[in-house]
Amino acid sequence: MTNVLSWTIWVPIAVATLLAFFPRNAVGAIKGTGLLASIATFAISLAILMQFQDGVAGFQLVESHSWIPQWGVRYAVGIDGISLWLVLLTTLLTPVVFLSSWNAIHKHPKEYVIAFLIMEAAMIGVFVATDLLLFYVFFELTLLPMYLVIGVWGGANRIYAAIKFFLFTIAGSLLMLLGIIYLAFLQYHHLGHPDFSIVDLYDISIPMRTQSILFGAFALAFAIKVPLFPLHTWLPDAHVEAPTGGSIILAGVMLKMGTYGFLRFCLPLFPDATAKYAGLMIVLAVIGVIYGALVAWVQPDMKKLVAYSSVSHLGFCVLGIYALNQTAIEGSILQMVNHGLSTGALFLLVGVVYERRHTRMLADYGGIAATMPLFATFFVIAVLSSVGLPGLNGFVGEFLILAGSFKTHPTAAVIATTGVILAAIYLLWLVQRVFFGPITNEENRHIPDIAWNEVAAMVPLIILMVWIGLYPNMFLRKMSPSVQQLLTTVQRGGERGQTMVAQRHVILSREDGEGSHRQRSFASLRMTKGKQ
Amino acid sequence: MNPLIEPGWLNAILPEVILCVGGMVLMLLAAFAPKLSEITAPVALIVFIITAWSERLVRGGTFFGGTYEISGITRIFDITFLLAAMLATLFAREYLERERIESGEFYALLMWATVGMMMMAKGLDLLIVILGLETLSICIFVLVGYHRRIPVSNEASVKYFLMGAFATGFILYGTALFYGATRSTNFAEMSRVFATANPSDPMLTIAFVLLMSGFGFKLAVAPFHGWAPDVYQGAPTPVAGWLSVAPKAATLIAVIRLLAAMSPLLQHAVWLKMIAALSILSMVIGNAVAIAQRDLKRMLAYSGIAHVGYMLIALLSIRDEAVAAIAVYTITYALMNIGAFGVVSMLAKNQNDPQTLDDIAGLGFRRPFYGLALTVCMFSLSGLPPTAGFIAKFYIFKTAVDSGHVIIALIGILTSIVSVYYYLRVVYYLYMKEAPEGEAVAVGGVFATGALAISIIGIFVIGLFPTPLFEMAGAAARALIPYP
Repeated sequence: MTNVLSWTIWVPIAVATLLAFFPRNAVGAIKGTGLLASIATFAISLAILMQFQDGVAGFQLVESHSWIPQWGVRYAVGIDGISLWLVLLTTLLTPVVFLSSWNAIHKHPKEYVIAFLIMEAAMIGVFVATDLLLFYVFFELTLLPMYLVIGVWGGANRIYAAIKFFLFTIAGSLLMLLGIIYLAFLQYHHLGHPDFSIVDLYDISIPMRTQSILFGAFALAFAIKVPLFPLHTWLPDAHVEAPTGGSIILAGVMLKMGTYGFLRFCLPLFPDATAKYAGLMIVLAVIGVIYGALVAWVQPDMKKLVAYSSVSHLGFCVLGIYALNQTAIEGSILQMVNHGLSTGALFLLVGVVYERRHTRMLADYGGIAATMPLFATFFVIAVLSSVGLPGLNGFVGEFLILAGSFKTHPTAAVIATTGVILAAIYLLWLVQRVFFGPITNEENRHIPDIAWNEVAAMVPLIILMVWIGLYPNMFLRKMSPSVQQLLTTVQRGGERGQTMVAQRHVILSREDGEGSHRQRSFASLRMTKGKQ
Repeated sequence: MNPLIEPGWLNAILPEVILCVGGMVLMLLAAFAPKLSEITAPVALIVFIITAWSERLVRGGTFFGGTYEISGITRIFDITFLLAAMLATLFAREYLERERIESGEFYALLMWATVGMMMMAKGLDLLIVILGLETLSICIFVLVGYHRRIPVSNEASVKYFLMGAFATGFILYGTALFYGATRSTNFAEMSRVFATANPSDPMLTIAFVLLMSGFGFKLAVAPFHGWAPDVYQGAPTPVAGWLSVAPKAATLIAVIRLLAAMSPLLQHAVWLKMIAALSILSMVIGNAVAIAQRDLKRMLAYSGIAHVGYMLIALLSIRDEAVAAIAVYTITYALMNIGAFGVVSMLAKNQNDPQTLDDIAGLGFRRPFYGLALTVCMFSLSGLPPTAGFIAKFYIFKTAVDSGHVIIALIGILTSIVSVYYYLRVVYYLYMKEAPEGEAVAVGGVFATGALAISIIGIFVIGLFPTPLFEMAGAAARALIPYP
C-alpha cells in the first residue's frame, strides 16, 4: 500500500464526515463505526511499521504534493525514527478511548465519536507533516475537538477548564505562527523562492539574536503544550474536568506534541539558541519533575494526582531532550511512548472506578482490591509501569534519560532521580490507600468489577508495557539513526556557533559565561558520540 | 483626439447597467404586481447571477476619459460585492417575510448600492469615487431604516445618515484641497504631481487627514467607529451583515488607489504612521471591547472594527502582494461575516430586542447545521486553520513581515489571541450551555440554509485550496499598481 501515511490521516476524517450524516439515535451503529474506523487506522499504522526500514535516518514513506505553490507550501508527509512510535501510540490509544467510553458517554455520542476521529487525524498529521505550515495547520486542528470534548462531556467546572486549555495553547501557537512567518521570510531570502520544507529549513543559518527570538517563539508554544513548569497550570484543570477519553488522549498524545516539537523544530532549527538555553530548559524540566511529584503527593483527588504525575514525567522527557546526547534523547522518545501507555492506562482506570462510584477522592476508597480484583491487578501494573519498576517500560525510559543526562548535567540528573523516588512514594501510596486495608466505606463493598470493554482496552496497553520493558531494543533500534542524525544537525549548527564564539573570544578575550557553557555542552556531545 | 466616451463604453459598464435595470424592474414589479412579492427575491438572485456572469464579457481597459478602469482587480472586487449581495438576499428572503416587511424595493436598493460600490472600485478619479460613495450611502440610509415601524431601526438610519453626511463632507473637502495642490482629481495626474511635491506641505497633510477621516468612517476604523455597533444593532440583520463587509471592501480599494497615487510621497511623510496608528487602534479597541459585548450584533460590529485593523496592516506596504492580500481577505470576510450575521438573523425573535449570547444557547445540538455553520464562521473569524480566515490572516501577516513591519504583525497576533476568547465564547454557548425552555430557536428555510451552505463551503474551499484565488488576486494586483 503506497501513501500509507496519508491513509492514516484521511481514513478517520472520511469516517467522521460520513458519521455526520448518521441518524442521531443510531447510537450503536455510530459507536461501532467509530471503533472499527479507529481499529482500521491502527491496522494501517501497523503497515507503516512493516514498511519502515531500520537504519535509515531521514524521512521515509515520503509523499509530497504541491499545496499552495505561491507560498511554497506543500502537502508533504514522511516518518522517521522520532515520529514512528508516536504515530503508533496515537492510533493505538484512539480505539482504546472508544472501547473505554463505550458505555460511559450518554450525551451526544455522535459528536463525541466525530470529535475523537478528527482529533486522531490531526494528531497523526502533526507527527508526520514534513512541511512547517502543514504541521501548524494540524497542530491547531487538534485544539477545537479537544476544546469541545472537555467543554461538552467534561465535569462540573468544564467550561473554565476548556477555555483555559484553549487560550493557553492558542497564545503559544499564535506567537509560533509569527515565528514561522519570519522563518519563511528568512528562508525566502536564503533560497530565493518560498519554501516551508522542514528538511530544507535545517540548512538555514540564522544569526544568534534572531535565533534566540525564534527559539523563544517556538519553545513557548511547545513548553505550554508539554507543559513545562511555570506554564503547566492549565493541565490539572483540563485533566480533572475532561472525560476519561479526553484525558487519555490529552496525556497520552497531545502533551507529546510539545516534546516532539522540541525535537523536530527547536533543536535542529536553532542549534545555537538551543545550546545557549539548554541549561534553562533543563532547570525548568527538573523543577517540573520535583514540583509535579510533590504536588501529586498531596492531592486528595486521584485524577489530579495522575495529572500532576504527568507534569513530573514530562519533565523527564524535556530533561532528556536538552541533555543533547543519543542515550538521553532515545530515552526521552521512549519515555513519551511509555507515559502515553501508563498514564493513559491510569486515566482509563480512574475513569472506570469514577463511573461506578462517582467520586475520585482517595478518602472515599480503601480496600477495594477485594471487591474488584481484576481492576486492582490492572491498576497495580499501570502504577508499577509509571513508577519505573525494572521489567516494565517506565524503567527503561527513565533509566536512559537519567544515564544520558548524567554525562552532561550530573547535578540535574541527580536531582531528577529524586523524582523517581517521589513517584514511587505517591503512586504506591495511592495504591495502598485505594486498594488495600480494610473497607471503610460500605458503598465500596459492591462495586462491579471491570467490564469486557474496559478489559479489551487495557490488555493491549499492559502487553506493550511488558514488551517495551523486556525488549526495549526493538523500539530503540528504529529510532537510533534518526536521533543520531538529529544530533549531527544540532552539532553542525553548534560548530557554526562555536566558530562565532571563538571569533568573539579573540576580540573580547575576557568574555566568558555563555561561550564556555556552549563549548562544554558540545564537547560532551562529541564525547558521547565517540563512545557509540 | 480620442472621443471622450470610447466606443466600448457600454461593454465596460455592462454589469452596472444590468443591475440598474434589474433594480428598476423589481421596483415596477413591486408597484404593479404586489401579488408577485413571492418571486422578487428569486428574481433578484437571478439578476445578481446574470451580473456575475456578465463579468466574463467585460473587456479590460480605461474608459470615460481615463476615469473608469476595468481590470482583474476590479473584477475580483465586483465578484466580492455580488457575493455579499447574493448572501444578503438569501438571508433577507425569509427574514423579511418573518418580519412582514417583504417588498421588492429592498432588493432594488441592494442592487443600486452594488452599482455604487462598483463605481468606487473602478473610479480612477476621486470624483467618480465620491459619486459611487454617495450612490452607495443613499441606498444604505434606506436599507438600515428598512424596518420602518421599529424605533431602533429608524434611530440607526438617522445616525448613519448624520455621520455619513459629515464623512462625505470631509472627503469632499479633502478632495478640494488635493485639487488645489495638484490641479486634478485624477489619480494618475495626481501621482505625477506628487512625484515632485514637497512631503511636508501642510495642505497635502490636511487633505490626506480629511480624506482618511471620511474613508475611515466608511471603513469603521477606530477612532471613527462609534456608529458601527448602534447601526448594526438597529439595521435588519441581513443588511447589517452586508453593511459590515461590502462597503468596507469598496472603500478599501478606493483607499488603495489613493495610496498608490501618493506612493512617491508616502515614504517621506508621517502618513504611513497615521495608517499604522489607525490599524493598531482598531485592532486593540475592536478586540478589547468585543469581549464586553453580549449582544451578538454588537460583538460582530466590534470584531469587524478589528478586522479592518488587520486589513490596514497590508496597506502599510502598497505592493501587489499587499493588494492581493486585501482582496483575499475581503472575499473571505464576506463569506464568514455575512454567514455569522445570517445565523443571527434566523433567531426568531422580535428585531427590537437585542439578540444576545443566551439566544444561541444549546443551538449546536438543537439545530446542528446552524450550530456548525456559526462555529465554522467563528473559527474562520478567529483565523484558525483549516478555514479561509487562517489563509487570509496569514497572508496579511506575511506581507507585513516581508515588508519589515514585524512589530505591527506582533500586535496583530497578540490582539488575535484576545479575539479568540470572544469567538470561542460563542462556540461555548452553542455547545456547552443548555438552552432555557421556551427560548427562541433558529428558524430558517431553504434560502437561508442555502446561503449558509455557500458560506461554509466557501470558507473551507478557500481554506484548503487557496491557490486559484491567489492566482487571480496576484495577477490582478500586479496590474493595479501602475505607478512606479
